[in-house]
Amino acid sequence: MSRAKLESLGLKLPLFPTTSVGSFPKPDYLVKARAEFSKDKITEDQLRDLERKATAFWIETQEKLGVDVLVDGEMYRGDMVAYFAQRLPGFTQGGLVRSYGNRFYHKPIITGEVTWPGPITVDWWKYAQGLTKKPVKGMLTGAYTVMDWSFNEHYPDRRATALALADVIRKEVEALIAAGCKIIQIDEPALSVRPEELAIAIEAMDATTKGLRAYFITHACYGAFEHIYPGMLEMGVDNFDLEMSNSDLDLLELFRRHPFTKDISFGVVDVHSHTQEDASAVRKRVEQALTIIPKEQIWIDPDCGLKTRTVDEAIAKLRACVAAAQAFRN
Amino acid sequence: MNPASSGLYLSSAGSYPRVGDAFEFQVLRRAIAGLDRGERTMADVLDAENEMTRRAIADQVNAGLEVITDGQIRWYDPVSHLAGKLENVRIKGLLRFFDTNSYFRQPVLAGKPARKAPLLVNEFSFARNALGHLPTPGDKAGKLSVKPVLTGPYTLAKLSLAEPSENGSAGSMASLEARAMAYSEAIAQEVGVLAQMGADMIQIDEPAALKYPEDWPIFAKSLAPLVKARDAASESGRKAELALYTYFHDSAPVYEKLVELPVDIVGLDFTYNPKLVDMISAAGSPKALGLGLVDGRNTRLEEPAQIARQLERLLPKIQGGRAYLGTSSGLEYLPRERAFAKLALLGKVRNALYG
Repeated sequence: MSRAKLESLGLKLPLFPTTSVGSFPKPDYLVKARAEFSKDKITEDQLRDLERKATAFWIETQEKLGVDVLVDGEMYRGDMVAYFAQRLPGFTQGGLVRSYGNRFYHKPIITGEVTWPGPITVDWWKYAQGLTKKPVKGMLTGAYTVMDWSFNEHYPDRRATALALADVIRKEVEALIAAGCKIIQIDEPALSVRPEELAIAIEAMDATTKGLRAYFITHACYGAFEHIYPGMLEMGVDNFDLEMSNSDLDLLELFRRHPFTKDISFGVVDVHSHTQEDASAVRKRVEQALTIIPKEQIWIDPDCGLKTRTVDEAIAKLRACVAAAQAFRN
Repeated sequence: MNPASSGLYLSSAGSYPRVGDAFEFQVLRRAIAGLDRGERTMADVLDAENEMTRRAIADQVNAGLEVITDGQIRWYDPVSHLAGKLENVRIKGLLRFFDTNSYFRQPVLAGKPARKAPLLVNEFSFARNALGHLPTPGDKAGKLSVKPVLTGPYTLAKLSLAEPSENGSAGSMASLEARAMAYSEAIAQEVGVLAQMGADMIQIDEPAALKYPEDWPIFAKSLAPLVKARDAASESGRKAELALYTYFHDSAPVYEKLVELPVDIVGLDFTYNPKLVDMISAAGSPKALGLGLVDGRNTRLEEPAQIARQLERLLPKIQGGRAYLGTSSGLEYLPRERAFAKLALLGKVRNALYG
């Protein structure tokens, strides 16, 4: 069903399309430049030049590896919620809180009505798309996750917050589509955290995507999907990008009991491990997927964003994804 | 009522931020990052943990708390910090910790998790020593105590997996009950040791008990060895109270069962149900309560007078009139400056209540 939608958008993808979840590691020169920029040692223009250089590197790398649907790698972003919060009126940057282990982020605070200031990601998408003939995904964070990962000092409750944010994100989606973007990923990693709020997450996604002409993917990871499946399939997207390897493909058992009716971007490599999975392990994961899900519905990618890996590790993991896809196409 | 004679104590609910935005509050983060790069040693990390633990304790004292924790500064997460120290446990991938946007590393049990070494003994000793080195506010002499916090056996079991046996059959830890009782044995040993060391209150965190009420019989059964360890310590002259803390879900559906459990104090998160105050004001409590009336997960600062009004309704309904005012959960989910503001708010609430 979604293949027909892709074709109606002018996108003819091979079986087992390969992609990645969004972020790639920043090259050392960019990490250094971001630190220098934070200390006012370089200008914003100098930083942008290096972000463009790194973006070009990753576009070229994905093309060389044979990835089918590319991402810009988010060289210009830090945290996936904070990046948008920093650009949306109504948010204030909060202090550092822990994500896990020794990883921390600035959790935003909603202190007023959130409004759309104009395109946030469109110029970066245009830049990346201008470097390749392959489709580049537009990359956004979903309203439910932005709500859940922010402190709220303004809106009366969580639903009101999510729906207000959905209005704002929809405008960004419309701007991406107007620029020519055909595949838009709207990440919702918080999707499963409160199963009792699945209806809010679905309502917010519908408010973001309904009636808009694009192929929509949502990424979710590290959650208790057993509590929201199959209800989550009601969400207004075409493709669920799911972390599968980190959980030893546990979700397949759920899919066995209730058919997975959408396309799936099936995570075949663990992004939190320095270890490079060997080709046979990756192929085995795809084989297991094929026992449950028709091949026409399966995309192949890593579990999650690769930004915590080294550049070499990220490339190796992408290469493993592409090799697995090619093996099954043949 | 005079606060000195009241039964209302200010208490930490557990964790405290391990970093802050200011440079001096990033010592632990830098040490761990340096260790990962091979530039620092484990001793550097331990020094940094000690420093941030001292700061967490000092913040609690300065905010006016009487029941203090070490802030769980050394904990990678609420699960693997304990489970990872037990035999027959390996630590696997990341999973989200309830509805927070933080993660824990999931334990996988190859056999019965066994306590072969202390879990919190050194941390408790350090915290008590650190508290002893701080100047005690004049009106608090002899009234401050350190409360060790253990994640409870049922929550550990619920968030763990069992390794299949070599022949492919379900391993001995395949059932939730088997895992819970095995963890319970290990945690009970720690309760006994902490009690013998002089801990007069030991907090057991069981957030999973609210989220999965269908497992109630297993949860309740898994508390029995802990209660037995407490009672054994008491018989040997070391009285320690068990404080069962629940959070991250609505406690109203199981409230009546919670307060009948054989623990001494029940800690409640009031942020998931705006009617919980009404319910407890009507039903009362046969035992001391931990009152998580201040939201430990949102930066918005409550009005002290509003919380005080809630306390006015609750306190007369608690048998013995003893309660522990705190935040709805540990404070590691807030930025450090706001975490301290929430602690300070507790004192403002008490002032609003007693003038």
